Amino acid sequence: MKKFEWKSVLALALTGALALGLTACGSSDNGAAATGSNDAGSKAVYRTLDEIKESGTINIGVFSDKNPFGYVDENGEYQGYDVYYARRLGEDLGVDVNFVSTEAANRIEYLQTGKVDVILANFTVTPERAEEVDFAVPYMNVALGVVSKDDNVITTLDNWNADDSIIVISGTTAETYLIANYPDIPLQKFDSYATAKEAFENGTSVAWANDNTEVIAFALQNEGYTVGIPSLGSADTIAPAVSKGNTTLLDWINDEIASLGEENFFHADYEATLADTYGLDYEDSLVVEGGKVTAQ
Amino acid sequence: MNWEFIGKYLPMYEKAALLTVKIGVIGILFAILLGLVCAAIQYYKVPVLRWIVAVYVELSRNTPLLVQLFFIYYGFPKIGIRMSAEVCGVVGLAFLGGSYMAEAFRSGLEAVEPIQNESAISLGMNSGQVLRYVILPQAMSTSIPAFVANIIFLLKETSVFSAISLMDLMFTAKDLIGLYYKTTESLFLLVVFYLLILLPVSIVGSLVERRMRYAGFGD
Amino acid sequence: MPDLGIDVLFKGTNMLRLLQGLWVAMKISIVSILISMPLGILVGVLMTVKNRFVKAIFRVYLEFIRIMPQLVLLFIVYFGSTRALGWNLSGEVASVIVFVLWGTAEMGDLVRGALISIPKHQYESSEALGFSKIQTYLYIIIPQTVRRLIPLSINLITRMIKTTSLVLMIGVVEMLKVAQQIIEANRMSSPNAAFGVFLVVFVLYFFACWPFSVLARVLEKKWN
Repeated sequence: MKKFEWKSVLALALTGALALGLTACGSSDNGAAATGSNDAGSKAVYRTLDEIKESGTINIGVFSDKNPFGYVDENGEYQGYDVYYARRLGEDLGVDVNFVSTEAANRIEYLQTGKVDVILANFTVTPERAEEVDFAVPYMNVALGVVSKDDNVITTLDNWNADDSIIVISGTTAETYLIANYPDIPLQKFDSYATAKEAFENGTSVAWANDNTEVIAFALQNEGYTVGIPSLGSADTIAPAVSKGNTTLLDWINDEIASLGEENFFHADYEATLADTYGLDYEDSLVVEGGKVTAQ
Repeated sequence: MNWEFIGKYLPMYEKAALLTVKIGVIGILFAILLGLVCAAIQYYKVPVLRWIVAVYVELSRNTPLLVQLFFIYYGFPKIGIRMSAEVCGVVGLAFLGGSYMAEAFRSGLEAVEPIQNESAISLGMNSGQVLRYVILPQAMSTSIPAFVANIIFLLKETSVFSAISLMDLMFTAKDLIGLYYKTTESLFLLVVFYLLILLPVSIVGSLVERRMRYAGFGD
Repeated sequence: MPDLGIDVLFKGTNMLRLLQGLWVAMKISIVSILISMPLGILVGVLMTVKNRFVKAIFRVYLEFIRIMPQLVLLFIVYFGSTRALGWNLSGEVASVIVFVLWGTAEMGDLVRGALISIPKHQYESSEALGFSKIQTYLYIIIPQTVRRLIPLSINLITRMIKTTSLVLMIGVVEMLKVAQQIIEANRMSSPNAAFGVFLVVFVLYFFACWPFSVLARVLEKKWN
């Protein structure tokens, strides 16, 4: 009996010490990371343009469950608006593309830890995110939208019934926006598009807030849904992102997007991947060509 | 380590920990109940039911909780069975835990030698008394280690609830990483809170285990 | 019979992809098991050493690994390691590391349990017969231990295969993620696919684990 207590107390103490050790590791690292982001290259987690070219493969983070922007078709091939551009990017770089499936909440993390070279996962540019990663010039317009069932169309978020919840995907701009502007609305959070849509279809919540592009696509693809709030929050853009400080790659992507503008590449992308869903009506309002946002 | 961040989101973790514990405890209680029923059915060899129990035990023990939850939460509504995420978590945990508990109780019951039963009857006890004074005390002390291990196992398994959008500890950490990019702090709080929940259970468990070893017959 | 959406699996290469997803999970568990078995045996033997310090270290390791949910360990290694140590691990490598850490702890505990369950007189008798320490282990203790261990370690394999379903959460495209992708790509044509596809995933996991469970039970009966 006595012996046992001694052991368990020791175990407790040492486990605590271990947890503290973890903290220490973490804090010392935090300092390093902070200096690293100011002084690019001192702690490079990313691969430069030359390193990528040399390796012959670029790792691009895309969604695998966000139809029609990034998804996997029945033959196991990645498809969608983001993917179409990712393939072109690899082609122009002269390297193979290795698609890495990502979830919304992981996008920054993947760049900060060098798990991917570029994120092309419908990544909305925000000031907060721009402190963590470097955005290239945009290739798409976006705002937020809210979709709901036909029999209970949500057209406003004011005077919200506290018993109802809204589905959001963890790590998206919709989540940040609702937390900041409508803190009283209960959120039902999911970690992937697949699970969020599944739950929305199953009637878990009265509405789903996301990029308006995505909710419009959902309402168009699935019967019985209406986008009651087509535009919420500010008008934003979607752009490729690279790890903070990876200027060689960033500059190359910026030049690439500018030159793609001359051949109207993103219009072709739209027609190949999005026209089936949206028709051609949204083409000019969604597509950003050559990295230049035209005033709307 | 950003202590301001930790202080700010501590309440969120507390809430998440409470949810983890709440669903964990309710789920485990149902698992124990289910386990008792199944063990009794197998011990008394109830016809038909024992085969159903046997199939259930195999299905439950040989599939991951995550897959069970996906099936229940995302699949079942397609055939008209809808449950809230909380209910689904409890159902999933009870479905998984029931078979583990059943095995623990059954092995405890089976470890009691038939001669004990026979001796007790020859001493003039009725079957209720045999169960109450002879079988159960011994069976319990034999099954305690497995029982304790199961409780810890099931509490740990609650970490997959995040997959069905329950705002448990795991989801909170993941969400905060996605929202504020504070990976180190979020993971630190995650570890601390799981230790706070699981370490006491583990220590109390080992204490109980030692206490209950009195029935080590002939050892 | 309502449409349960199983037919989506017969479109394109969907079924094959699902099986490949299962194989990803199996591969992670097989590699992890192969590494953690020998390590676990080593740890288990070391834990019976009568050195307090060694014992304490292994005890803390064991307690921490066994008390933390595997998902938490996966997150720490996958997201934490890059930040703390500057390693850049793929989801697969991170999974193998976590499963080896966990498998070694579990295996170590099983080995320790099996070793101390060997009655003391076995050691004493073999010493009396003039066996050296190594001979004692080689000819007396290990053969007996192995018999007790094999069924238990096969059970560990089952648990590991089941636990690999968690790697979905750190971005490894395994069976559950493929299932989600299939459901997503066919949302319009088969709205009920979630039932059928997850049912098939459930069944496939069952058939991946069940043979091991049966084998463990058979061996246990045979040797006890």
